[in-house]
Amino acid sequence: MYTQFFGNYLLSKGYVTNEQLFSAMQKQSNEHMRLGTLAIHAGYMTASEVDQTIIQQTHEDKKFGELAIDMGYLTNDQVLELLRSQSPDFLLLGQVLVDEGILTNSDLENIIADYRSQNELIDLDMTQDSHDNIMKLLDNFFIMSETPLSHYGHMYLELLFNNFIRFVGEDFTPLTSEECDAFPVECCIRQRVIGEYEIASYINMDEETAIAFASRYVGDTFTEYDEYVRASMEDFLNLHNGLFIVNVSNDSSLELKISAPEAIDDPIVEFEHRTYHFPMLYSFGIVHFLYEVVKTCE
Amino acid sequence: MKIDEAKILISDDSILARKQLKDIISSLGTPTFVEASNGQAAIDKYKEEKPDLVFLDIVMPEKDGNIAIQEIMAYDPKAEIIIASSVGTQSQLKCALEAGAKDFIQKPIDKDQVIKVVTAFLERR
Repeated sequence: MYTQFFGNYLLSKGYVTNEQLFSAMQKQSNEHMRLGTLAIHAGYMTASEVDQTIIQQTHEDKKFGELAIDMGYLTNDQVLELLRSQSPDFLLLGQVLVDEGILTNSDLENIIADYRSQNELIDLDMTQDSHDNIMKLLDNFFIMSETPLSHYGHMYLELLFNNFIRFVGEDFTPLTSEECDAFPVECCIRQRVIGEYEIASYINMDEETAIAFASRYVGDTFTEYDEYVRASMEDFLNLHNGLFIVNVSNDSSLELKISAPEAIDDPIVEFEHRTYHFPMLYSFGIVHFLYEVVKTCE
Repeated sequence: MKIDEAKILISDDSILARKQLKDIISSLGTPTFVEASNGQAAIDKYKEEKPDLVFLDIVMPEKDGNIAIQEIMAYDPKAEIIIASSVGTQSQLKCALEAGAKDFIQKPIDKDQVIKVVTAFLERR
């Protein structure tokens, strides 16, 4: 499910360019996971064994699994297990990059090992979108060592990622987050969360991206930036913040409120409080999410 | 009551939410719709149009949904109000039901749930 984090990792390490990632993300949905990739991921085969098996396939008309068994790389049970297993989405992205010739199987093997160790995910089941997994990934990607995220900050961002996945689509990569004092905006909506914990949330994107965002969010086709597109952005923000305060009220006795979403007309927003910028790279454009911490109760 | 005879006030600051509710309800028939985009407009429209059923958002500019329920119920204690909001906290729910709301729909708007509450309303009338 968390392909986006793997995409960010590949970008930050310089394995792929923005354009290559974009292209791979678009192709990913039409691809099927191959046994060789799954076997590397499971640690049953090395990249070189997979490559050997693929070479052998050019000589013998057999399926990859049969050949890998013949060559002693896999057992029958392992093949059955791999065929039954649910593969993590990030692996498919890796496989597309191998197909595109951007990575080799050997690169992919090393990258998976490094990615797992960096994210302390060695023994975790990547297909489970468990609370702990997300928290670890968030901690690693939004390194804010000077001001670590508060409990509610974590809750907010975890929900934000889930809501982007649920309501817009999981094919996004969070680009490097940063603190900022001001931000130039184009189509921007703000909504405040008010109470003992206060934030101002902003969602901003260019018109083309907004049209594509709204089309996905509503499940309709918009062709121009109009009041429905703007209302879709407001609705997403309102839905996300509404669910956040529901979660907070379930988690503690804190009762927060939200203001009505409002469009920002100024070309630049200047922030009075510490503000984090989370850019999300979707195949249709970049969605900028800004999170201004006005008052914290922790 | 038959759906085609019903007058329904949809009060939400989001034009999108209003459209979604109208589209869903229209799958049952052709009621008369009245719209309001803030709490004060909802109160004014209620008095002016006397709708049979009201959908009300909580978070709205001018007057919020909670104040709007109280004022509408004070004007007409028999008003049929359904809250449709993303803010489904325990206290919001309690507040809305105490003020006299008949039902609460948590956003995102779910078609089946809207049809269920509208059908239940039609059977009550």
